[in-house]
Amino acid sequence: MEQNFNELIAWLIWILPFVAAIIIPAIGKRYNNLVGYVASAIALFSAITAASILPNAIESHGIHNQVLWISTIDLKAGVLADPLSIIMSNIVAWISFLITVYSIGYMKHDKDQVRFWFWMMFFIGSMQLIVLSDNLLQMFFGWEGVGLASYALISFWYRDKKQHHVGTENHSVLGLVEYYSPTHAGMKAFIMTKVGDIMMLAGMFLIFSFAGTFGFRELIDDTTWATNMATDGLLIPAIVLLFGGAIGKSAQFPLNEWLLEAMTGPTAVSALIHAATMVKAGVFLVARLGPILFSLSMAGILVDQFFEIVALTGAITALLLATQGMVNMELKKVLAYSTGSQIGYMMMALGMAGLSDQFVDGYTAGFFHLMSHAMFKASLFMAAGSLIHVVGSRFMTDMGGLRKHVHKTYIFVWASGLALMGAPFITTGFWSKDAIFASIYESGHVLALPIFIIAVLTAIITAFYTTRMIGIIFFGERSQHIMKMEKSGDHIHEVDKLMWLPYGILAILTIGVGIFGLSAENNIHSIFAEYLEHSFGIHSAHLNTEEHNDINLFSGLNALAVAFSLLAFVVGFVLGYIFYIGRYIDPTKFVNSNLLFYSLHKLMLNRWYLNTLIYWCFVISPLLIARRIWRYFEQTVVDLGMNNGFEYAIKWSSSIIHKTQTGVVQSYLYVFGAGLLFVILILLV
Amino acid sequence: MIEITSTPIVLIIVLGIAGVILPIISITRKNVSSKLYGAISLAVLISSILFVIYQLTSSAILSSFSEDVLTVDLLGDLFAISMLLVAIMTTVGSFDFIRKKSYSSIYFSLILLSTIGMVLVAYSTDLVMLFVAWELMSIPTYILAGFLKKNPSSNEAALKYFLFGALSSAIIIYGISITYGITGSTNISEVIRVFSTIDAEMLPLALLAVSMFIAGFGFKMGLVPFHMWLPDTYEGSPPTITALLAAGTKKAGFAAAIRIIIIGTIALNFDWTLALGIIAIMTMTIGNIAAIMQKNLTRMLAYSSIGHAGYILIGLATYPLSNIGLQGSLFHIINHAVMKCAAFIAVTGIIITIKTTYIDKIKGLGVRMPITALGLTISLLALAGVPPLNGFWSKLMLFGAALDAGSTYSWIYWLAIAGVLNSALSLAYYGWVIRKMYFEGDRTISIKEPKSIISVMIFSILFIVGVGVYPDLIIQFTEKIIFQLTMALN
Repeated sequence: MEQNFNELIAWLIWILPFVAAIIIPAIGKRYNNLVGYVASAIALFSAITAASILPNAIESHGIHNQVLWISTIDLKAGVLADPLSIIMSNIVAWISFLITVYSIGYMKHDKDQVRFWFWMMFFIGSMQLIVLSDNLLQMFFGWEGVGLASYALISFWYRDKKQHHVGTENHSVLGLVEYYSPTHAGMKAFIMTKVGDIMMLAGMFLIFSFAGTFGFRELIDDTTWATNMATDGLLIPAIVLLFGGAIGKSAQFPLNEWLLEAMTGPTAVSALIHAATMVKAGVFLVARLGPILFSLSMAGILVDQFFEIVALTGAITALLLATQGMVNMELKKVLAYSTGSQIGYMMMALGMAGLSDQFVDGYTAGFFHLMSHAMFKASLFMAAGSLIHVVGSRFMTDMGGLRKHVHKTYIFVWASGLALMGAPFITTGFWSKDAIFASIYESGHVLALPIFIIAVLTAIITAFYTTRMIGIIFFGERSQHIMKMEKSGDHIHEVDKLMWLPYGILAILTIGVGIFGLSAENNIHSIFAEYLEHSFGIHSAHLNTEEHNDINLFSGLNALAVAFSLLAFVVGFVLGYIFYIGRYIDPTKFVNSNLLFYSLHKLMLNRWYLNTLIYWCFVISPLLIARRIWRYFEQTVVDLGMNNGFEYAIKWSSSIIHKTQTGVVQSYLYVFGAGLLFVILILLV
Repeated sequence: MIEITSTPIVLIIVLGIAGVILPIISITRKNVSSKLYGAISLAVLISSILFVIYQLTSSAILSSFSEDVLTVDLLGDLFAISMLLVAIMTTVGSFDFIRKKSYSSIYFSLILLSTIGMVLVAYSTDLVMLFVAWELMSIPTYILAGFLKKNPSSNEAALKYFLFGALSSAIIIYGISITYGITGSTNISEVIRVFSTIDAEMLPLALLAVSMFIAGFGFKMGLVPFHMWLPDTYEGSPPTITALLAAGTKKAGFAAAIRIIIIGTIALNFDWTLALGIIAIMTMTIGNIAAIMQKNLTRMLAYSSIGHAGYILIGLATYPLSNIGLQGSLFHIINHAVMKCAAFIAVTGIIITIKTTYIDKIKGLGVRMPITALGLTISLLALAGVPPLNGFWSKLMLFGAALDAGSTYSWIYWLAIAGVLNSALSLAYYGWVIRKMYFEGDRTISIKEPKSIISVMIFSILFIVGVGVYPDLIIQFTEKIIFQLTMALN
């Protein structure tokens, strides 16, 4: 009975936000100012339902309920709330709730509130659908749902006013101006993620054609499909295609460029969709498939290539985006670079997990980093939103010296910023990053060393750009922009409570959980170890010794990993301090001091030319070719030749028939007689 | 002997009495409103159709062929229902059209008498009976076509129609006499029996008879090359009568064709599909291509009606090879009856109000006469075979049958290809009308739509969309008809 009730609750988690999305326009018709509160209340309710089944879902190794969907091909729809998905679902639900609270304040004066809330709720529902689906196809529906919501919210300010653009107006790279309007950015995001989605669809149906099912549980229960696919050499292509979906959605290399322009949306949207939840969908997909594939590899089917691709993609993305984060001047874009880079860490961890004997270590590390990143990055984004709101500019150079004006935000940004940097021992970011380092180091794979180096390097850069960001915003002299504002009578002041409370809570949580970080991680570790053991038969060696590990808090730590995380934090932070907080050296002069730094700076500022390359190859050249085709083929052959020719042919034959219709009865009778003879002839001959 | 209470006899009595009484009322009493005559004939027609449906569901169904001159079978019932439906729509549509014209009693009476003929054609199992019914159907329509005495084009229409009608009657009579000469009987089942064991020497004569039937009935069906009279007559006749001709008598031609040509030729047991196939392709292609350049709505619909005869003929041509074909034909006959009737009644409405049939003059009709325009639009789309309207399903069955039969003779694929191409082509001129009504024109003064037209429009929209959404009922009915016909033949 209780189990049935829990199954019902599991359905409700994703259905509720959709219901909210439907009723919001109706409420908005009458009470425009109320919709935010209604949406927030429903988000809270959905979060409570998610929390209420958390213990049961973990204890019972997953609540699973199926209903028949399309009977002709025996397709089932269902919810699967196993430890992985229920924890993810809770992260999504609670962060969504906090961000909806923040949005009430953030969107208060916007005329199009109803549209905003509709898409927010639609997004939350779709995201929960991804998380709780028990099969790939149903998941894909949510996958497309979040893509649609993301598109609609990136282009939310579709009137393309100047203050909603991203990029610098006159900054052109190889003849391409990197300055994008919200509608352009929305389209870019939609199309780029769609590239991944199509790949995912292909991979899904490839697997379906062998397995005859989309279900995650069914795929693991009977693995003959994998054996058959492997003998045909299709297994690796199929799962790599699936991973293509994850690359697109999680903004990994080479489909990473859309995430930067996604910052045109309202900041609440950036916090929820482009930092905390949707971009994690790709990581979640890999976390969903990872154990299935790892258990295949234990059964002797070779899938190492897949995990190698995942790890390398993550590593490349982490470094690539972190370097660009060092030089950018737009606050939200720095955070966006950082998001892509941190997701790269998660991919790295999940990929290396598959290559090691201790699958659960890397798996936990990746997922733990997802959790901690969701908290501190959402907090950072919301804080960034209120800073931009306060200053009225998206450029960090327009801020400066703000620490005296926005006291609370200053503290919260430090808290979550330290987590991003991986400040030792008190932040979640430190523990999760440390766990990733440890799992990479322990995997013992050939790739372990290069990826470990990249990971440490990225950590240094991360600490550096975070310090830089904080330094530019809060320290030093007030910028000219602020002076001008104050001169005209606008005083810089803290945003209202409804806005700072959500990111305050998350910032405190980041530190709070961070203090107990190691035991939190150990708890998740043991939950996942049991989960993987029970659901996938992935045995982890030190599962049995887990209990007395808890007695000594630090015994599970890898000394080398801790050392390197400490080193990375210190190096990055000190460098950042010298340049931006202490301001002992002027960074501009330093960059221009020699050619190497100058060209590196330029390379990073121009986004490694990747964005330009993509535009030239896939946007500008096809358009040029298409214009030629239009001019020389469509206008001539199709329009003149086919369309007009067809028209003339019909007109001509029509006029011939009209000529026979003389109106003279004699000729009619003649045709009649001839027709009779014709019929007789056909029948007789 | 056929019983006195059986459907055809009762219909003859009821409709005949009403048809005779109407002119008598007009002679004995002056100053009677034309509405009374319309109401009487409407009441009689509605009770007739209810009676047919009641008989269909309650009493025993006879075999398709009997020793009598008439039989009561499902095929006959189907045609009777659709003829009566057309007669009802025409009668209602005429209320406002005939109001200010003289001799309205005779007008309604002639429609009733012609309806008797149509119904009897459907039930006939004897060649002489069939011919008598054929003439009973035709002669009133000659008069009706020329009903607008002062209008020269109406006179021209009537004259051309009459000349061709007389010619085709003569040809049918010639066919019947040859048949009688060969078989010594005029009963259709007897004819089939003798034809199926015919000597090789007599075969050419039998074929000649069949050719005569094709030409004779083909005139009514509007098959190319027996179609020349059709556009002129449809254009010149009163539009309500055009509705009756296009939707009613034309379908009676198909009823006769299914009774005689199909059955007779199967019994003859030779490959005749080719002849009907060629005629079908010619008919639909010429009908549609000629329609595409028309500036006059009535004439356009007349050509479209020729085109549709071609589609229906696909089913007749493929009957020996595929059962779905004839089913599709029957389905399309009902559909086309309602669609074409609705279209012509809409034209009647346009003629009553803005006194024109030129396509250029009906700009902005969607705003000015919303219901008429909607009815016309729906019926045009249904004629084009746009899903989910009823025309889609019957065309699907017809073209599907051609594909099915194509596995026997590969050239039959061309029937399907021609059908699909012609359907696509037809959208060009239907769409043209719809475009004129909805997307052009600036005159927004609304016009009062005649109530009678509105009621016909609403009925047709409901029928077209209803059958389009749930076509199964009629499809099952046609399936039973084919089953009964096949049983009777073996």
